[in-house]
Amino acid sequence: MPEHDGLMRIFWPLDLPRTHSPGTIVGWRNSGLDVFVVGVLEDVDARSVEGALKVGTLFRSSSHPIERIFGLCEQSTMHVLGLANIPGSEVDALQIHANTGPAYRLPLISCARASTIQIVMYDRPLPTRMQYISLNPISLALSDKAGMVTHLPGSVDAQEEQEEMKAKNKKELLVEKLKLHTVSKHSPSPKDEALPKIVNQINCSWEVNKLLQNNVSLVGRRSRRTLSVSERVVESATTMLEIITLAVWEVLTLYMYPVVRRGFVIGLLCHRVVAEALLLLLEWRPKPDYAALKDISATAQQVEIRLQQFCYWPMQHVTLRKRKKDWESVTTNHPDYIRFYNSLWLVANDVIIGIALGSYIIDNAAWVAESISEILRLYSIGSLRNTIAWLMGWPAGLKLNGELATFLGDLFLWVIDHWSNCVEALRPVLPHLIWFIGFSSFAGASMPIALFSDLLSILTLHIYSFYMASARIYNWQYTILLSLFQLFRGKKHNVLRKRIDSCDYDLDQLLLGTILFTLLFFLLPTVVVFYLTFATARMAIIILKAVLDTLLACLNHFPLFALMLRIKDSQRLPGGIRFELRDTQTIMTRSSNKEMPLPTSYISLKSVPLTFRAMFHQYFQLGHRIRSHYLSPLVILCLATGKFVPPIHRKNLYSLQYSMLPARRAGIMDMWNVLTEQDPAGLKRNVYPDFKVNTKRLNGNVRRYHH
Amino acid sequence: MLTIVPHLRTRRPSPTTIEYTVSTSPSLTFSLRILITLTILLRTLIGFSVLLLLYSRYDLAFPSTRIIIAPPFFTDERIWYTVHLILSSRFGLLALRTAPQIPVFILLPLSAAILYLLSLRIHTTESLLVLHGLGIQTSTSSATYLSSATTRFIPTAKIQDVLVNEAFKGFEVRYYLVIVVDEEEDVVVVFPRLLPRRAIVERVWRGAMGCLYAVEGENKMKV
Repeated sequence: MPEHDGLMRIFWPLDLPRTHSPGTIVGWRNSGLDVFVVGVLEDVDARSVEGALKVGTLFRSSSHPIERIFGLCEQSTMHVLGLANIPGSEVDALQIHANTGPAYRLPLISCARASTIQIVMYDRPLPTRMQYISLNPISLALSDKAGMVTHLPGSVDAQEEQEEMKAKNKKELLVEKLKLHTVSKHSPSPKDEALPKIVNQINCSWEVNKLLQNNVSLVGRRSRRTLSVSERVVESATTMLEIITLAVWEVLTLYMYPVVRRGFVIGLLCHRVVAEALLLLLEWRPKPDYAALKDISATAQQVEIRLQQFCYWPMQHVTLRKRKKDWESVTTNHPDYIRFYNSLWLVANDVIIGIALGSYIIDNAAWVAESISEILRLYSIGSLRNTIAWLMGWPAGLKLNGELATFLGDLFLWVIDHWSNCVEALRPVLPHLIWFIGFSSFAGASMPIALFSDLLSILTLHIYSFYMASARIYNWQYTILLSLFQLFRGKKHNVLRKRIDSCDYDLDQLLLGTILFTLLFFLLPTVVVFYLTFATARMAIIILKAVLDTLLACLNHFPLFALMLRIKDSQRLPGGIRFELRDTQTIMTRSSNKEMPLPTSYISLKSVPLTFRAMFHQYFQLGHRIRSHYLSPLVILCLATGKFVPPIHRKNLYSLQYSMLPARRAGIMDMWNVLTEQDPAGLKRNVYPDFKVNTKRLNGNVRRYHH
Repeated sequence: MLTIVPHLRTRRPSPTTIEYTVSTSPSLTFSLRILITLTILLRTLIGFSVLLLLYSRYDLAFPSTRIIIAPPFFTDERIWYTVHLILSSRFGLLALRTAPQIPVFILLPLSAAILYLLSLRIHTTESLLVLHGLGIQTSTSSATYLSSATTRFIPTAKIQDVLVNEAFKGFEVRYYLVIVVDEEEDVVVVFPRLLPRRAIVERVWRGAMGCLYAVEGENKMKV
């Protein structure tokens, strides 16, 4: 192998014992001078270890097939990498010799073929605690949503998306151009390419080391001492207990467990069928571009999210169960684990808060209903009526057109009167409604919030219609004024060429147009004040609903479990790796009495925990989207000209809530297959692994007696 | 006096590993150490008095029962007793007298701003660690004492290029070191906060290229 640079790279675990006892260093050899140390087997001969590794004695009684580990580490076998603490011994040219006495803070390593040495010291992540390291930050959201929903052409969101795409393409072009600036392309060396492999080796190293240390007694010189009588008594007593528990366990698993399990699966499936029916109802659209029920109502959407979660959980759980059939070092399912428990925990939290809220609402239903109807009467009817009355009589000294103001005001007041009658009719029902909302909150605090949001939309329907009506009138007047202004200037708008042309009008046309223009212009302020009033009221309601939606998003999506993990054990949320150059001056001076063989750098490898910013990444994204939508010039233009302000697309607004759910939910048959296929394997697994675990524990005890 | 112009420090235990550190912190002499200790003491003192002011304002708004007799040492009441002792000291009485004279809407943002200023670090340290066969790691110390340094590791396989670029900053032209990462839209700027002068940047670039691509790097330097 062309190792022209003479650099030896050694990955060295930090938890190796610092003793003088001689040993054999075992690990993976990724390429000639690139080695990964898994462990040091003490007091055994290197040659016998080599043989044991070939035959597989050292991998005996592993809980899972060792080939899986070999596959993960992309190696066909483990190697003897060198010797530890045997001064003056003969080692191969490629093998290393390490001194790890208690006097040295860091191991001293030499190798015949190397000219410089890099020692990367790593902490073994504990797979039993689900710690692991990864090169890329762990993703808390499911990432299969790309390009799922497309916008209708011509809508504001489609335009926004187009602009986004344009900016993206521009940037891609720039990136392509930047590639041309690279003078020479360096082909990566085997050491460069080994990094992903090494990350897997680090993740596996704890379990492999444990397995090796368990089996080290099978190798080499040490003979097995027979057990003493007392030890034998203890062992037979424990095995007797094991046998009895095993028998009871077998009876339970053979006769009771399948029945219970089958019942449970059937229950789940019935639930799934009902959920499917409800989901179909919620997602049904009369025409492809019409809104479905879940798009209109917050409650329907909340129900839909919950149902989707219930559909997804069994699948997720089965995936997580499969984890137990494999080595703990396999880290592919850890993000799934975090997502699963995060959603479970959020639902549990939601229900707990909901029970508290619900019992409060039910206890005080009459008072709550009374205050709500009071607030409604005061703000949505009383103050609106006062404002309109104020606008009718020259508000703030503005001399509006009295007749038009009276006309418009009377119109709106008349509708308000009718509406207040309707609300009065609703009043006796309100306590029951509130009671119902309170009762619904036993399904989670998000339910009453969603219901309240819907109730708010219904009870302020009149404001919405006022806004629509006044916006329409204002928009008409605005467009008429624009075209009459062109006439006033002697020009006209050419529709075909989309430009302003000069035009020779007749005298009567000009006269009539100018008179109409003057009239409409003087009537404009009156319409504007009415439009502004209702637009402001509408905005206030939208903001209130946005607050409720944010609350819902927090209840449905907050990364609670991830935050807890970050505080409890940040190693479980890896956000990348970090290297730290250790100071080596002291080591150099300490070992100066012998000849200092090679320039060596000591580097420690650490895992970087996921940043809080990355955890809340989606919230930032949502905030950015809302800002770019509602503060865009287009929306402000719409507002100024009285056009209908397009609401932000629901895909953008609620992508946060769906980010933990798959884009396409699994069908009923899929679920049935997944839940039943595992049956025979599951049964077998339940009987045997326990036995294995126990024997392993016994082995461990036996080993301890040897020492 | 506490900070100096960014200067370069190099650590190179073996030819395949170099760490370049650019820092505004001068080398620590005895007098400087004393000075830094004094500033830390001053900071804690100011921070403590701001907290005391805030607490006395809170105590005036929502008075609680004071614990006057000394309770046993390892109890919760002991904390409140200590608080009482502090509040009834001369310093505490002064805070109790000043607190009501400042309106809350000024006091709260002002004290938040002061506490933030107190948590700012004096020195900025940024470093570049080049590991042959592994990659490049940039690291930047954070602005406040509350958070740790941010690091970014780029494996060699993903490094497309390392180059020195120039850009306008205010009315001057700055040379800076960038790492172009494969399949990423943004480049990574090395030493983003300090942006050291061209001499330093060139030295770092030469060293990093030489270390990263041990053989090919030499040819490139001739160009």
